[in-house]
Amino acid sequence: MNIIVCMKQIPDLQQIRIKERKPILEGAPLIFGDMDKNALEEAVRIKEKVGEGKIMALALGPAKLKDGIKEALAIGADEAVLLMDPAFTGSDSVATARALAKAIQKIGEYDLILCGEGSTDNYSGQVGPRLAEMLDLPQITYVRELEIKDSKIQAVRNMEESFEVVEAELPALVTVAAEINQPRLASLRQILQAARKPVQTWTPADIGLAEEEVGEKGTAVEVLSNLAPEEERKQVIFTGELDEMVGNLVDALTKEGVLGR
Amino acid sequence: MEKMDVVIVGAGLAGLATAYCLADENLEILVAEKGDFPGSKNVTGGRIYLNPVRDLFPDLWDEAPLERHVVREKLTMMAETSSTTVELRSDRFDQEPYHSFTILRAKFDRWFGDKVAEKGAFVIPKSKVDDLVVFQDGRVAGIVADGDEIYADVVVAADGVLSLMAEKAGLRKGQEPKHYAVSIKEVIELPRQTIEDRFNLEGDQGLAQLFFGALTQGMMGGGFLYTNLESISLGLVVGIEALMEKEPKLEVHQLIEDFKQRPEIRVLIEGGEVVEYSAHVVTEGGIHAMPKLFGDGILVVGDAAGFGLNMLMTVRGMEYALASGAMAAQAIKRAREQNDFSASTLSYYEQLVKDSFIYKELQTFSNVLNVLENPRLVNLYPQVFCGLFEELMWIDEQPKQKLSTTVLQELRGNFLNMDTVRDALSFLKI
Repeated sequence: MNIIVCMKQIPDLQQIRIKERKPILEGAPLIFGDMDKNALEEAVRIKEKVGEGKIMALALGPAKLKDGIKEALAIGADEAVLLMDPAFTGSDSVATARALAKAIQKIGEYDLILCGEGSTDNYSGQVGPRLAEMLDLPQITYVRELEIKDSKIQAVRNMEESFEVVEAELPALVTVAAEINQPRLASLRQILQAARKPVQTWTPADIGLAEEEVGEKGTAVEVLSNLAPEEERKQVIFTGELDEMVGNLVDALTKEGVLGR
Repeated sequence: MEKMDVVIVGAGLAGLATAYCLADENLEILVAEKGDFPGSKNVTGGRIYLNPVRDLFPDLWDEAPLERHVVREKLTMMAETSSTTVELRSDRFDQEPYHSFTILRAKFDRWFGDKVAEKGAFVIPKSKVDDLVVFQDGRVAGIVADGDEIYADVVVAADGVLSLMAEKAGLRKGQEPKHYAVSIKEVIELPRQTIEDRFNLEGDQGLAQLFFGALTQGMMGGGFLYTNLESISLGLVVGIEALMEKEPKLEVHQLIEDFKQRPEIRVLIEGGEVVEYSAHVVTEGGIHAMPKLFGDGILVVGDAAGFGLNMLMTVRGMEYALASGAMAAQAIKRAREQNDFSASTLSYYEQLVKDSFIYKELQTFSNVLNVLENPRLVNLYPQVFCGLFEELMWIDEQPKQKLSTTVLQELRGNFLNMDTVRDALSFLKI
């Protein structure tokens, strides 16, 4: 059972500061998106259940990936392929999917591709479906439960008001939802062992892509601005005797749902 | 079974320094850090003094992300409603190589951790070490983290002021509250230009200010203010035993709230944004609180070894940590050559420490705690001196007396007694 898990690193959203409505990304450590971790966890569980197989972590991103991918290897990926060339910088969902598809074609053998249903930063949710199209694979998205039976997979999908149960032949691509599992943490020992697992780095040329097909040049969408919402202060001023003011303040805070439950 | 050559517990300055100095030796080194990243749990006032350690890490300082080099030194004595400050501005301090820089640990340690990792050591954050692996004969053989045992020829306890590892190894016993203080600190962001205007600085020049007196409300301790490139480090330190004995009980954070309200401080931080709020235990015991520095298969460095010193005018610790790490590395290299990590071989570390500036300074200033603990230092003397200065400067409707009369009047009740004599003698000992 060979599984490829596509993963993306993003700045830790908890550590991003906003200054004059703009996000400050420097200093925020890079971590894997929540649902990418779910995807990796699912791969590890499948491998544990089936008893054999190989898990390959595939990621496109900046040079810090070299260090970052160790976490994926520690949690259970056996190998990794990284697309870290500067030429890949500025890739949108299309360019990313294109590069990942070419890399997967070069990897060759696989039974299942797992992705998160969306990345924790932009949450466009496009890479998985685009990838499936480019590789001509059946795709099952928003999966909350996955079962492998011989060469078929059965999946339960999160729909708005219901669950949908679908089945597909392998190889297939699945994007997973947060409910599918609880990702494990790697132990110190596993982190040390991760350093010995093989990691390959491929350039656009390695995967048969020209300059115009990758990174900013291969991108269809231009980000014009990225701003935090305007904060409008309520500007309520309490006057009067101290007891009165405090009483009114407490009432107002309670109405806002900030105090008391 | 995982075996490393060296496991270092704690990626603070001492732990990273040990790893840095060993990293060229082709060793499997693990630095296990419990915080999210090296520096995330480290706090200093603070400022670092480079002269004692510059040559131990020759390639480090050019790129090191230090803040401002200090050219203005201020000492402020605070009374209830007044304060007196002595300020030094020095050309000497403004000449390269600069002897002292203000520093932000979250920034510096993180960078240092990356440097150490670049050299090939494993610097692994979010790794809490719960225990040591200790064999029947008492030899330390590794660590326990996440239930896994990781073996090593030698473990370096670099886990800070309350070192669990040193305790587990039996190298340090119960700590006395009188040897420790707690420090609270805020990093307050201000535009560079504002800092330079408010503190009379140009370019990357910096100011360091220490306070003692009313700000610790009768308890042993003091305050500090350091200018960083784009922020101010402001905080205070208060003795733990003093806190325990204070009646009525006081919430420690109240001290920094009140300190920030002092007219002297308020104007300096006006318009700033608090971007970091931290607290930490500080070692004050000096040589009286030093644990054993080594055992079979284990060495103790940095704050874990009690290497911190309040010399009243200056506070030392970071350079001690770095130097002790370098010395530990030296001792480990020698142990490897002999393939012997027993206490007797590792005792070389203690030898190096005792011959170094660290131990010599701890000895020289062994009487500092006496002076620091003296309640008159924070209660009486600031009040008297500020009161005197105030009286001398005040012009009343009444005709002014002779200066000497004013001086005698102010000092007589408070000064010419046995306490003052004893205090003067204790000052002579430092």
